[in-house]
Amino acid sequence: MRLASVDMVGGVGHERSLTQIKFNAEGDLLFSCSKDHIINVWFSHNGERLGTYEGHNGTVWTIDVDSQSRFLVSGSADNELRLWNVSDGKCLFVWEFPTAVKRVAFSDDDERVVCITEQRMGYQGAIRVFNLNRDGDGTNQSQEPEHMFHPIGSKATVCAFTYTPNLVLTGHESGKVALFDVVSGTEVLNNERAHMDIVTDLQLSPDRSYFVTSSKDKTARIHDTKTLRVLKTFTTETPLNSAALAPNKPYVLVGGGQEAMQVTTTSLRQGKFETRFWHKVLEEEVGRVKGHFGPINTIAVHPAGTSYASGGEDGFVRVHHFEESYFKAKPYGDLEIED
Amino acid sequence: EDAAEESNVSAELVAHRKRLVDEWNAWRARCKRDIAEEKRSRGQKLNGEHHEEEKEEIE
Repeated sequence: MRLASVDMVGGVGHERSLTQIKFNAEGDLLFSCSKDHIINVWFSHNGERLGTYEGHNGTVWTIDVDSQSRFLVSGSADNELRLWNVSDGKCLFVWEFPTAVKRVAFSDDDERVVCITEQRMGYQGAIRVFNLNRDGDGTNQSQEPEHMFHPIGSKATVCAFTYTPNLVLTGHESGKVALFDVVSGTEVLNNERAHMDIVTDLQLSPDRSYFVTSSKDKTARIHDTKTLRVLKTFTTETPLNSAALAPNKPYVLVGGGQEAMQVTTTSLRQGKFETRFWHKVLEEEVGRVKGHFGPINTIAVHPAGTSYASGGEDGFVRVHHFEESYFKAKPYGDLEIED
Repeated sequence: EDAAEESNVSAELVAHRKRLVDEWNAWRARCKRDIAEEKRSRGQKLNGEHHEEEKEEIE
């Protein structure tokens, strides 16, 4: 795997571990959030920091940016969901909840936001859908969600809108993957055995017809959105924290690793913190990239497939630009694969 | 080492890979039809249909 790597160099970056990173639709910007309470935005081509979004008073667990790069949403351990103006870093609106916000995601039309709040201290875990008012400067939002429900059973850890309106995908602590109708709050379909342990990440294909998940069960899997059938499995030796799909190439990128405290033998130290590339159709490994001194917490691929970024427990965000040979390589011959 | 360099593979493996790719491509074609149907049922005009309708109006 031939790559050129860029470290995020502007300012101090992050002082604590990364929790999620996201490219905008054009891929020129990379957003990162961290346990240091800060959200940063970087120029993805050179790693220079463009700005910060400051205001949260706890770990920022999750972020998402709309397709126009106008609004950013973030969820935090301070029990807040915030809406930000991307271009000037201004906080436009704050929604407050009884518990931490663990995951946020925009709908494909940018009109709605779905979020998961944690089950804690007598409060049930909840999934809420907000209808965003995109008119004016964005500060005129409704405090009340359009829909809200409490998934029964295992806690939801990740969520995303499907291509069907009102249908939301969830991943759970038990390893379950499910589809919820947000209007009725009912689970319309599930796969209880999608994974054997916590689902840590869920990223959709561009048309949202399939998605990749990562899990602490050391596997990443591709699922059919419509049927929730597992189509592909990528088995590794470490608990996984993130999995991403590479546009225009048939690859899945996975990252994870065990905390140093859990590592008992030196052999386990080998190759723990690499991003691994798998052929998504053939389920064969195609390459590994080193770059972090601790577990990889989050991976995102540039929407044009020209680079990818990883965020680590070590506090680093790295962007890796693929070189010419990556685009020319046809590791398994001339088979044409539909994206 | 990159698996990208690999070239000496058995005919069996080549056939296996071809089968996996064929299955994947057939499934992707079904997905694309499903999405098109979903959009149609929501009353969204697809680009292709839109052009046909415009032609009919001209006639």
